[in-house]
Amino acid sequence: MNLDWSVVWLNRDALIAATGTTIMLTIATMAIAVPCGIVVAILRLYAWGPVRAAATFYVELFRNLPLILVVFWAFYVLPILTGLSLSPLATGLAALALNVTAYNAETFRAGINSIRRGQVEAAMALGMSRAQALRRVIVPQAVRRILPVLASTWVSLFKDTSLVSVIAVTELAYVAMQIRAQSFRVLEMLTAMAAIYWLLGYPQAKLVDWIQRRYAVTE
Amino acid sequence: MDFDFAVITDHWRFLASGVGVTLALSIASGVTSIAAGLVVALARLYGPRWLRPMIVLYIDSMRAIPVLVVLVWTFFALPIVAGITLPPFWAALVGLTIHLAAYAAEIFRAGIESVRPGQTRASLALGMSRAQIARRIVLPQATVRMLPAFGSLLSITIKDTAIASVIAVPELMRQSETVQGQSFQPIEVYTFAMLVYFLILFPVTRGVDRIYRRLAHLGRS
Repeated sequence: MNLDWSVVWLNRDALIAATGTTIMLTIATMAIAVPCGIVVAILRLYAWGPVRAAATFYVELFRNLPLILVVFWAFYVLPILTGLSLSPLATGLAALALNVTAYNAETFRAGINSIRRGQVEAAMALGMSRAQALRRVIVPQAVRRILPVLASTWVSLFKDTSLVSVIAVTELAYVAMQIRAQSFRVLEMLTAMAAIYWLLGYPQAKLVDWIQRRYAVTE
Repeated sequence: MDFDFAVITDHWRFLASGVGVTLALSIASGVTSIAAGLVVALARLYGPRWLRPMIVLYIDSMRAIPVLVVLVWTFFALPIVAGITLPPFWAALVGLTIHLAAYAAEIFRAGIESVRPGQTRASLALGMSRAQIARRIVLPQATVRMLPAFGSLLSITIKDTAIASVIAVPELMRQSETVQGQSFQPIEVYTFAMLVYFLILFPVTRGVDRIYRRLAHLGRS
């Protein structure tokens, strides 16, 4: 076995740029999926019957589909449905956002539901409106339960961005595998790819553990 | 827009074989990762002290590296390192097991630790051996509590088998890509694949939920 690790160093610029895309995709997806998740959760809890059913259908559908299939589906179907020709990056972002929004909606719904009904009733008995009770009583408590779950969704999302490589988004997995194909340095490039993901992901996983300990709710 | 779902009926045998491989890979990697996860969790909790940091490193590394990377590494790089070339299905099974066993181990650990230490001490005081305590006191309670987590692990396993399409395992995702590539009818083919995955996954998540609700009282102490 002769190994030549210089291929990693020679392609450092491409790898750094690709790593940047991976991080950017993670941040952008979360920035879309948190507000959208809140909206979907509220629709599921409080909206008019048919809207609620549609929101539930959306959440259940996307939670029960492999992300890689959603990515392919978005790549081929979105342009036909919307008539727009989207770049791979935009398509990948849309697929990730559709997926993570469904998970976040469920997280928010569970967080809101975890606050006992008696508290809302007590707040309303004190003369608060529904909106006030939501803002002042439910949300501050729900946040403590939601944050740890959002943190682990974040790490899953960071890893799942690798799946948009199948539609040629130039993020870390795609670029590393391209370099592998051009240089035939299979072991070196695949190991470097795993190492970069590990270097970025490991501290995030540890941070999630810390957040979970910090916000643990004991009743 | 015209839809022509004849493409599905024309290729149904090919697609059905994909569903078969998806199910086989899901069940096989589900079983191996739970078995390997139990061994890892027991080694972490009861094994020699020097082994623990290594197990923690392994578990946290798997939480940090994408499944895709593990699968691609097992399929393309492992033959170079170890000199063994695995066929795609076996490479996928090995890769998925390496990845998912870490998650299974965490579920086992959380379940076992959720049984209060007072119970172990009480059993020791009654003269039970460590193995007896694990078998009669800790595991029966822990198993029930772990059910929901294993339900979601199973659904993650089924979803992750779709990623094995990247290393050419002829499962549903891969077969759909092939049919799509020949027929140029991506909407019909991928929508069909979506439907099949949903029909497999939804009953699994719902079924585990229902079983857990039946059994939850057994896990209380």
